[in-house]
Amino acid sequence: MDNTKIIELKQVREHVHSGDRLWIGGWTLVRKPMAMLYELIKARLTDLHIVNNPGGPDTDLLIGSGCVSKSETNYIGHEVFGHPYNFRRMLEEADPAMPFLHDDWTVGTGTMRILAGALGIPFIPTKFLRGSDLLSPEHDGFKEIRGIDPKVPKIKFATMKDPFWEGEEFVLVPALRPDVCLLHVQEVAEDGTARISGGAFLDYYAAKASRRVIISAEKIVAQGSPHKAFDENVIPGELVDHIVEVPFGGHPTAVHGHYDNDPFWFQEYIAASKSKDKMREWLEQWMHASESFEHYLHKVGRRRLDRLVADGALGYSPNIVRRLDKIKEVI
Amino acid sequence: MNSDYSHLEMMVIAASRLLSDHQKVLVGTGIPLVAGALAKKTHARKMKMLMEAVAYDCDPESLPFCVADPRAVYQTKWLPTPVEVMGQYLQGGDIDFGFLGGAQVDKFGNLNSTCIGTYQKPRKRFEGSGGASDIALMAKNTIIIMSHEKRRFVDAVDFITSPGWYCRSLDGRSRMMRSEMGMAGGPYAVVSTLGVMKFDEVSKLMYVDSYFEDLGVELATIEQETGFAIDVSRARPLPPPTHLELETLRTKVDPEGIYMKY
Repeated sequence: MDNTKIIELKQVREHVHSGDRLWIGGWTLVRKPMAMLYELIKARLTDLHIVNNPGGPDTDLLIGSGCVSKSETNYIGHEVFGHPYNFRRMLEEADPAMPFLHDDWTVGTGTMRILAGALGIPFIPTKFLRGSDLLSPEHDGFKEIRGIDPKVPKIKFATMKDPFWEGEEFVLVPALRPDVCLLHVQEVAEDGTARISGGAFLDYYAAKASRRVIISAEKIVAQGSPHKAFDENVIPGELVDHIVEVPFGGHPTAVHGHYDNDPFWFQEYIAASKSKDKMREWLEQWMHASESFEHYLHKVGRRRLDRLVADGALGYSPNIVRRLDKIKEVI
Repeated sequence: MNSDYSHLEMMVIAASRLLSDHQKVLVGTGIPLVAGALAKKTHARKMKMLMEAVAYDCDPESLPFCVADPRAVYQTKWLPTPVEVMGQYLQGGDIDFGFLGGAQVDKFGNLNSTCIGTYQKPRKRFEGSGGASDIALMAKNTIIIMSHEKRRFVDAVDFITSPGWYCRSLDGRSRMMRSEMGMAGGPYAVVSTLGVMKFDEVSKLMYVDSYFEDLGVELATIEQETGFAIDVSRARPLPPPTHLELETLRTKVDPEGIYMKY
């Protein structure tokens, strides 16, 4: 049995370093590797460079925790739950003591960029971005560090006429080259083979493009467990460096077939994120004062977690009240 | 004046009426999703609804929270990744209608979902493009849907996140007509809480095509709530919701009132 890839949750801290370009898997409110990110926050990492496209509560929380100095992504937000106040504050009330640079992209170009990374090519032509202010040189969020920071492409984009066919003008965008990729999936086999249901988003491409890959899973299973279809194997084990079993490791985001978004978390977090002081209290209470992820889940409470459990046939929970203005704490 | 339904409901219903069978429609999170789902459950059952993160031809039973929600996955015919949906179908020119929201729209249909104020020092910063810029650029037609307020319907947006008819040149330094840049597609309609706006064939300027007369909307109201001079001479009243449209929206599409805020 090859179980040398299995680590403890706390060991995630040993494999992610300040200054790393970080890809966080999943999609906005879905399958975010939250338990692993909580470890990075508790370890008080700084200077992370976020490259996942797009970001949800994962990214806003890392920013609010002071872990991030750069982000290049197409979206940071909580979708219909509310606004990303930590991200907003960093740009609206720039604090010289906490330098933060943000460069805007799009889902299409974020996709092309990580695809280029997976293909092992330095850039890729795209039809996207034309006509947008995102192409204007004065709106290059990384302008001041291009050519200086080796982890940032020397220019944001280039243009080129198609030399092979019709001669149409294309935009060239640089590959994304994450140092580390954190994913949360439903199941991972002991050799690192990752099984995902309900959509893989860009997780495979990110794993292929990244130097180090750490996967947390609801469950670590024996390779080739007969009850599972192999067509859910999305990422081959050879791409994966470390794996860790963390039930509810995506909480408060949704994990298809396991549990749904936790509206109570979003209600409390978004309210706290509106001010620096309240955010600090939230971080103290939910991050630093939680000795372990089990302790955190204990504080969330069994009753709340039970309500989130997905219906086997639907893949989501039909029991949650999804309007924050209509929910009250479960008694 | 009929007050049995809201402006928000009429906006969604008016938007859904622009869609029809046999189209491929790429919908964004939020109200566009509601309008797409309503069309799919009423008059456009054969329309294919796509979501950028995961879904090709979906017909959710419960309204998704985002474009990756397990609700968007349920009974969906194919679960592609964004490499297929955005990189291949959208970029390949296979999407008939893109459906977008935003914070600001201008008279040429440029959309802003990035910031108010300057980009470097925004007064108000938003979530960012997501897939909106790509969809506005590469879909054959774009439908924009947003609340009709003077601060949202502006002469020129603070930031062109998603290109309309008169957008940013490739060197980023000036503005050009979309057609001069060899870009296909473009805004087809803006559906608001007051009416439906379209764009003049020649000037590409926004005009009022129809308005929600049944809700008491007057053309003067639209002029007042629009931050630029808008042509209302072609406007006609839009028929109010049918029983089927309202009933489907309330009981099947958004019974929880997540977007309709009942």
